Amino acid sequence: MTTEHNTHFGFKTVAETEKAKKVADVFHSVASKYDLMNDVMSAGLHRGWKRFAVSVSGVGTGDKVLDIAGGSGDLSRLFAQKVGASGQVILTDINASMLGVGRDRMLDAGLNVPALQCDAEKLPFPDQYFDCVIVAFGLRNMTHKDRALAEMQRVLKVGGRLLVLEFSKVWQPLSKVYDAYSFKLLPLMGKLLAKDAESYQYLAESIRMHPDQETLKQMMIDAGLSKVDYYNLAAGVVALHKGYKT
Amino acid sequence: MLKGLSTQLLQHLLAQNAWAAPLLQPFAGKSVRLNVALVSTSLVILENGSLAIAGETNIPDATITISPSLLLRLMTKDESARQQIRIDGDTHLATELAKVFSHMRWDFEDDLSKLVGDVPANKIGEFSRHAVATVKETTANLAGMLSEYWQEEKPMLAKKRHIEQFNAEVDILRADVERLEKRLNKLTKLNTANPPNPDNR
Repeated sequence: MTTEHNTHFGFKTVAETEKAKKVADVFHSVASKYDLMNDVMSAGLHRGWKRFAVSVSGVGTGDKVLDIAGGSGDLSRLFAQKVGASGQVILTDINASMLGVGRDRMLDAGLNVPALQCDAEKLPFPDQYFDCVIVAFGLRNMTHKDRALAEMQRVLKVGGRLLVLEFSKVWQPLSKVYDAYSFKLLPLMGKLLAKDAESYQYLAESIRMHPDQETLKQMMIDAGLSKVDYYNLAAGVVALHKGYKT
Repeated sequence: MLKGLSTQLLQHLLAQNAWAAPLLQPFAGKSVRLNVALVSTSLVILENGSLAIAGETNIPDATITISPSLLLRLMTKDESARQQIRIDGDTHLATELAKVFSHMRWDFEDDLSKLVGDVPANKIGEFSRHAVATVKETTANLAGMLSEYWQEEKPMLAKKRHIEQFNAEVDILRADVERLEKRLNKLTKLNTANPPNPDNR
């Protein structure tokens, strides 16, 4: 059980003040091989999930998009192509190592995407600024998810969309296989490919501690979003939630 | 995976039919359930006027229902069939979407040209159009030939003018029967009011 000042860090319970530092350590450790591991862990599916998120975002030319916990910049790159020269995409991450990878990649691709290190629970942007805010595989690492969602809602324009792409609750008949994969194979792959079994153990545990589809939907409604709907991808291994600011 | 592919396909078609986005944009955020023959799916209109498959918990604003027989008639471009499409909920939204779908065309030559180049794509397009026209013409000829055979040589089908003549005769007969019925009623009433005097026999 977590108390008022404690929170989850995978299956462990830690002080709230420690979580951000511990998550930062995990991502500092995996940053350089993050994409390789993502490809191996999801058999390349994470690219399709991200493309799907962009395709249902409704983002068009001239729109302003905020990519939270954007890390290696996959989504920012896709959104930059959608918004064109008249639009704006801002890549943010709390972790400097991950953000560095994303920023370099944007520069290499010749894209003018500003990279900004900031905490999603205290976004340094004015109210009603973005047409779309997206957080992909980042919400579960945040200490106060409710505060982060409220901040995302704050910076959205009326009619703007919040998209949350995150691991979720898998279809029940597949849960045993998925558990075996996450807790046995995933740390082993982390050990072999990134030489960091512990970080990947945390990734697997944090996925299990993350709210399921309906709970996250309710959290988004509580944060002030409406018409919240979700898509189960890969039998619920991942879910894409979409809500509107009205 | 299927949602992703379907959404990409829809958005590709809409990108080819750029006139559709401004028509759909005013309905951004709304969704429509399509029950076409045995397939049922929900579509959501996006803010850029594009379309995507709706999520798991979507509540549609409108429903369009097309039965399998109606679908066949629509495919043969039967104009009267359009009037029979069932629309529930936000009819304005459903009508606009139905209009977009009925006028949307797949420019397959454009897609093919990216794979094989412009000239071969154009030639393949020409050949396909010619093939489709030939198949249509042959089918029409065959149907005409068979109906003629079954009407003239081995009568199994009635000719249109015979059916019309028969219908007209049925109408005349029905009118005659009605008139006769009215006359009988009138005579019965007269008979009841003035019963015949047995002494007059």
